[in-house]
Amino acid sequence: MVFGGEIMKQKGIMEFIKDRRVILLVVLLIGSILAISTIGIQQGLDLKGGSLIQIQLEKPVDTATMNTVTSVLDKRLNIFGVKDVKVRSSGNQNVIVEIAGVQPDEVSRIVGTPGKFLAKIGNETALTGVDIVSVESPIITDTQYAVPFKVSVEGANKFAEIAKGKAGQPVDMYLDDKLITSPEVSPELAAGNPSTSVQISGGADSKEAAEAQSKELETLLKSGALPVKVTIVGVSSVSPDLGDQFGQGALIAGILAVLAISAIIIIRYRAPLLVMPIIFTTLAELVLILGIAAIIRWNIDLAAIAGIIAAIGTGVDDQIIITDEVLKGKSLKEQKRRRTKYKIKSAFFIIFASAGTLVAAMLPLAYVGFSRGYTGIGVLSGFAFTTIIGIAVGIFITRPVYAKFIEDIMD
Amino acid sequence: MLEKFLESYKPLIAIPVIITLVSLVLLASNGLNEGVDLKGGSLAVLDLEKSISQNDLKLMIEDGLNAEDVSILSMANDKATVQIGGTVDVVELTDLLKGTATILSYNSVGPVLSNQALNQVYWALGFAFLFMSITVFIVFRDIVPSIAVILAAVSDIIISIAGMSLFGIPLSLASVGAILMLIGYSVDTDILLTTRLLKRKEGTVNERALDAMKTGLTMSISAIAAMASLYLVTIFIIPEAVVLSNIAAVLLIGLVADILVTWLMNLGILKWYLEGKS
Repeated sequence: MVFGGEIMKQKGIMEFIKDRRVILLVVLLIGSILAISTIGIQQGLDLKGGSLIQIQLEKPVDTATMNTVTSVLDKRLNIFGVKDVKVRSSGNQNVIVEIAGVQPDEVSRIVGTPGKFLAKIGNETALTGVDIVSVESPIITDTQYAVPFKVSVEGANKFAEIAKGKAGQPVDMYLDDKLITSPEVSPELAAGNPSTSVQISGGADSKEAAEAQSKELETLLKSGALPVKVTIVGVSSVSPDLGDQFGQGALIAGILAVLAISAIIIIRYRAPLLVMPIIFTTLAELVLILGIAAIIRWNIDLAAIAGIIAAIGTGVDDQIIITDEVLKGKSLKEQKRRRTKYKIKSAFFIIFASAGTLVAAMLPLAYVGFSRGYTGIGVLSGFAFTTIIGIAVGIFITRPVYAKFIEDIMD
Repeated sequence: MLEKFLESYKPLIAIPVIITLVSLVLLASNGLNEGVDLKGGSLAVLDLEKSISQNDLKLMIEDGLNAEDVSILSMANDKATVQIGGTVDVVELTDLLKGTATILSYNSVGPVLSNQALNQVYWALGFAFLFMSITVFIVFRDIVPSIAVILAAVSDIIISIAGMSLFGIPLSLASVGAILMLIGYSVDTDILLTTRLLKRKEGTVNERALDAMKTGLTMSISAIAAMASLYLVTIFIIPEAVVLSNIAAVLLIGLVADILVTWLMNLGILKWYLEGKS
């Protein structure tokens, strides 16, 4: 490659700096760096550690029912003492629960239970979960526990009416059709005096078990029942240590990849200078993608990292195409500029065509993610979406600047 | 040598075609594993607290959980990746491994979710391919070259999937992502070749083909180098990142196959087509 005279080169640099596309790139880069440093990048669970529980409802439900489901689940987890919980619906039949810590076992139980409370005397239903107005903290004595709660006045009246004259008969209390305790009807209640204070008591093998069981009961009674049956269809959790390792590994792989590509560019073009704009373009694409992710609060997880790799990888391909088109076949000097413009145009034909096919291939995945939610293949929608963002950034912002650079300075 | 290679393009088309056919046979006989996320089951990464042999760990989990389908996917640096068929209660597993290992990461997919995912995988792949093909037709507006590009993508994907079957890489959400990425990479070089050959007028067909090959090979080798770095990192530094390792491996196979498919098959078909036209 032959560089023009010193004056030509300076003129080229000036022209390059004044270009609208270059200014746009610089502004966007500064914006992205500001966004990343002020808003920060949200890391996905697989990088920062945490658990994700996927829940499926028995049947598709309307928005109101879905809201009840998510709010009941959210309430349960909060009462249960789980910190940093995110409960969100995914489509009209699935719910995703994200928690920061790794404790999927306990959480799975509390989330997967319908929480339907019933108290029966004989065959008559005396109380249901709807009648409960407040639940007090469990009282634990050794391996025995009691969870006191208050019912509404109507509930108490109904209860008293059914219990009338049935002193000594058992009150069967069920949670999700499972009998948990059967206290006897007290003489006062049987006499028809309503009481709003009720309690469920029971025993366990150890003090810890008693504490755990009573805490679960308290949570379920407090949060009320889920309007539909739910099942846990998937659990995944990653410890923060492992998440850190993934992040570091991705970083090392990225650095190695940049070094390897640089070596190939140097060998192929025998022009070490050319490596700089290519690496700069690659880093600029990375910063812009992360900047956009910060602004729209897009989670960066392993799938998104794969998407970034795909986008940046095609970026390097595109820069090789531009370089080859421009450097190919030396021509007469006066024709040079026009010819360079023409060559860049034809390079961009290839670039737009291949970007078009890759975006077309990613659209179905992105669609699944947006319409059906995060469950199933939706996990991959992060990958598709990040790839599409990366390609858009590349073909509209960074790669035109690279072309302009080659046009003004290298040619 | 290159000139000779360009002259005998017709018999050379047979090489990628034969590889593709062999791949299909291999796929049919060897089958393809499905990952936990598509067939259901549990995958756990363990931090080993004491040394235990691969077989002992397997037996311990099999006996303790009464599970049949237990396999140890990797075991290095005091870490092990275990796959267990069927849904496993994570509490039971934690209790069972107490004193031997702690669970670093756990992933369990029930049958409902896995069936759904497998279905979605087929739809996503099908539509991805359809949309890609439509884009190619819109770009070239010429039947033979468009079909040549699509055929190249088809055989690249078939060879890659056969590679997955050969090296025991399961079909999972991650490898599906890799296959989609491959559609992008594979079509890149094909579009470059087709554009240079059909839309350019300067030089002879062979000169244009050689020029395109120079650019295309630089592109492929850069991508291969990048994926090889990722693969090596997942093997030596983070063996637990099975997902990343699988993506890198599938892309490596696909990129190498793409070199053969593009420069033997796609170039061959295009030259044949151009010769027939003139």
